[in-house]
Amino acid sequence: MNSLIKQILAVIGMNIRSLPQRFWTSLTTMLSIAVVVGVLLAFLAMSDGFDKTLNSSGADDVAVILNAGSQAELNSGLSGEVVKIVTDAPGIAKNENGPITSPELYVIVDGIKKTSLTEVNLPLRGLSLNGLKLRNNVKIIQGRMFQPGKNELVVGASILDQFNGFDLGRQVSLGGVTWTVVGVFDAAGSVFASEIWADYRAVQTQFNRGNSFQVVRVKLETAGDLSKIEAFIKADPRLSMDVTTESEYFSEQSSGVAVLMGLGWGMAIFMAFGALAGALNTMYTSVAARSVEIATLRAIGFKGIAAFCGTMVESVVLAFIGGVLGTLAVFVLFDGITTSTMGASFSQIVFSFDLSASAFITGIQFALIIGLVGGFFPAWRASRIPVVVAFTAST
Amino acid sequence: MNNAYLVFKNLTRNKLRLFLNSFAILIAFLLFGFLGSLQNAFDSGVELSADDRLMVVNKINFTQPLPIAYVNKIKAIEGVKDVTHANWFGGYYQDPRQQAMTFAVDAESYLRVYDNLVLDEKSQKDWLSNQQGMIVGERMATSYGWSVGDRIPLSSNIFSQTNGSNTWDLTISGIFKPSNPQTDTNFILIHYKYFNETQKWGGNRIGWLPITTLDPSLNQSVADAIDKQFANSSAETETSTESQFNKAFLEQLGDIGFIISGVVVAGFFTILLVVGTSMAQNVSERTGEIAVLKTLGFTSKRIFGLILSESLLLALFGGLLGLFFAGFFVTGASQEPQLKNILPNLIMSQDIVLRSLAYMLILGFVTGFIPAWRAMQLNIIDAFNKN
Amino acid sequence: MTDEILFQLKSVSKKFTRGKETISIFEDLNLIINKGDFVSIMGPSGSGKTTLLNMLGGVDKPTNGSILFDSHPIEKLTEGQLSKWRAAHVGFIFQFYNLMPMLNAEKNVELPLMLKKLSSKQRKNSVNTALKLVGLADRSKHLPKELSGGQQQRVAIARAIVSDPDLLFCDEPTGDLDRATATEILETLQLLNKDFGKTIVMVTHDPEAAKFASTCLHLDKGIFEQQNSTTQEVTKEESEKEHSS
Repeated sequence: MNSLIKQILAVIGMNIRSLPQRFWTSLTTMLSIAVVVGVLLAFLAMSDGFDKTLNSSGADDVAVILNAGSQAELNSGLSGEVVKIVTDAPGIAKNENGPITSPELYVIVDGIKKTSLTEVNLPLRGLSLNGLKLRNNVKIIQGRMFQPGKNELVVGASILDQFNGFDLGRQVSLGGVTWTVVGVFDAAGSVFASEIWADYRAVQTQFNRGNSFQVVRVKLETAGDLSKIEAFIKADPRLSMDVTTESEYFSEQSSGVAVLMGLGWGMAIFMAFGALAGALNTMYTSVAARSVEIATLRAIGFKGIAAFCGTMVESVVLAFIGGVLGTLAVFVLFDGITTSTMGASFSQIVFSFDLSASAFITGIQFALIIGLVGGFFPAWRASRIPVVVAFTAST
Repeated sequence: MNNAYLVFKNLTRNKLRLFLNSFAILIAFLLFGFLGSLQNAFDSGVELSADDRLMVVNKINFTQPLPIAYVNKIKAIEGVKDVTHANWFGGYYQDPRQQAMTFAVDAESYLRVYDNLVLDEKSQKDWLSNQQGMIVGERMATSYGWSVGDRIPLSSNIFSQTNGSNTWDLTISGIFKPSNPQTDTNFILIHYKYFNETQKWGGNRIGWLPITTLDPSLNQSVADAIDKQFANSSAETETSTESQFNKAFLEQLGDIGFIISGVVVAGFFTILLVVGTSMAQNVSERTGEIAVLKTLGFTSKRIFGLILSESLLLALFGGLLGLFFAGFFVTGASQEPQLKNILPNLIMSQDIVLRSLAYMLILGFVTGFIPAWRAMQLNIIDAFNKN
Repeated sequence: MTDEILFQLKSVSKKFTRGKETISIFEDLNLIINKGDFVSIMGPSGSGKTTLLNMLGGVDKPTNGSILFDSHPIEKLTEGQLSKWRAAHVGFIFQFYNLMPMLNAEKNVELPLMLKKLSSKQRKNSVNTALKLVGLADRSKHLPKELSGGQQQRVAIARAIVSDPDLLFCDEPTGDLDRATATEILETLQLLNKDFGKTIVMVTHDPEAAKFASTCLHLDKGIFEQQNSTTQEVTKEESEKEHSS
């Protein structure tokens, strides 16, 4: 057994040391695997970053009430009367002031994306100061909160970061009315960080909404329990509404982008097959080029399994290096980069590329799989090269 | 036996290698064909925009409404040929999550302004005379299996009727076709009048105004005139050409186009590398044979041609297969409901096919050139000494 | 064997430099080969016999001197002209056969015909004739790996003669074969020489093989030594006499 291990190690050593002889093909394999791992990780980072934003946005103990069938805040319309009625529903948490609710409006205004200098849709949310109570992760970091009834705006930190037109102190003209940006709030990387907020009355006036709203957020007595509210709505013919928990609401919103992310995964898988073909080619060529060498070793007495291990290790080493290269490249180029894209309500969601440790590991695993599969069959062939090859002159 | 025979025999001598290389090339062109078509679909909305059509929207954001009085006011502006208006209905059929794009429009003027939608005379007449009628685009009609005369309950995510229901029962008066295959026909047009009279919130508000100008050269001056007219009012306008408008909308998706291009380029270069080294390897193993051919009297030029033909043939073989599969995927993706709404015009166009062919030829040339050159320069003596 | 001079080497030298050293393979070599000769050139390894053969075949060029084929100096031809010349006049036979592994026997034989303008019928005829001559008409569809060493060499011979060249150059044609097969091959060469008038120059280190030739030259340290009384070699003195007259 001891001698077998020695044999294996010896052959592995020979294979690795002879790599420089097969410089170009080995380099090709490494690069193609690096590219594949890079693409995969880039999409993983995007997807993770996007998920992170959405996951930190929704709370389980907050319910989002919309007009039936509207699917998104933007589409929904709720009159002042029905809002009043539903705030009396059972299942809503109360404090000394009554039920903890926040009727809100959600409209879209134009901003300019900094990187492309093109116009983008930004969400403007009209809410009362009560709304803050339903969002634990929001706090003002610059300036101050808007004053009720005034034409004042506060913007999320991501808005300042990605878009022009809403800097602190700026005067914004909407339909002939001047608004002022009086504060910036931090929203812990959630979707709200990509929003602009104002007092709901001012928004209603500006956008001719009368006494109507678009969404009511309520705090639930029991986290996740919508049953009482739903029953209440169902029983009342004046109420035609959909209720979901806030976390559910946001996960629904991400589906469009999820399709694109899925596309990315699909592409990475395909490219992986291409890289696999390349790896196989390299390893087969490597084995063929050294067939006399390998046969000679066998003639001397080395076992076939030593040749097998040698080739396998060679393949895995190349793949590993490629994987590391690809990961480093993505890390350097993408990690921490913030970008924005269009979410479900046609408005921008800002998110960061988030290259986590687990993504790193996934990338390396991917590379190793390619290396293993790409090395297996050639290694098998190497272990079965007939000894007689060592004695045959090359023609 | 001729050159083609030799080339073929050389390509197929190592079936495994042929398979691996063809496969790699197949993957590259599969990616290119598919992603290129995606990219094309993103861009075509922009390219197919008419250059004499402008969009007038609320300056705050295109989702904000405008007063219907603007229609006549804009008609009176110099340089304006035709004006129509449209409202976003937020429609869906049965499943609230699956959008069926619907606009409530002024029928007659809309068809005039959007002359790239082809509707036969009878259908046109029927629609104009029936306020509860709707016309459906060919693409949508096919996917839902609708025909003229069908009574369809169309629901809205946003609006409800005065009776509380958010579903309107409408009859299909006609099915319109596109004048260009990439023009989107995945939407429905209903009558604004009927919609406005029956919806709960009421009010004479319109969403946006598509207009045509007398000549594209007048676009800028007309746009400026319109926006000037409504400046500082409670409904300020922003007028841009249709292509600018569509482009801006797509840009909101962010750097998706950039990412797509990036992936394609990365994939392509990887393949180039893989196939190129394989080709070079291949030829360097055959120096003995090449020397023999030269000894027999084959000219260096001919040998150059033989080897280059090999790599060209390989590239075309793998590439055409890849394109073929890409076509499959494109057709499949174009049916996928989520993508249908973002990219209604997803097809593999002639442009993509031609570009792919060009890239195949380039790939074949680049991977084959150096090996072919080296074979051409090969010194018989050196080759025999090596062996 | 005729008296028509086909090949003449005049004061041919071949040197090559390795680093600072200049090594001379041979210097001032003279040789006459007549039409219809069957010459074997023997010598220890390193004596330059293969180099000599290569120069005769236009594959290598002398450092000095002239190689005249039918009174034309072939060392002055360009590569393109040499290709044409070889296609028209020369057939090569190698020690390791050098057949194209992916082509069957008849396709291998057909290769030189790709350099000529012939109808497919003519080609077929030539190929069949050549294969018949070497006795392999029934193996025409076999791949090289399906043929024995001797059979492969015969295919190579068929290839060498299919376009009816004047010359056959053989480099150790029997080096890789057993005695019996070697004899067969050499008998075929003899046949080609005697019955078909082919001029053959054969390089070998096997004295038994050399016996099949009509003339045997021994090349050692760059000098020809006479082996056979009917040698055609022109000695230095004789060539000087020629020049002065």
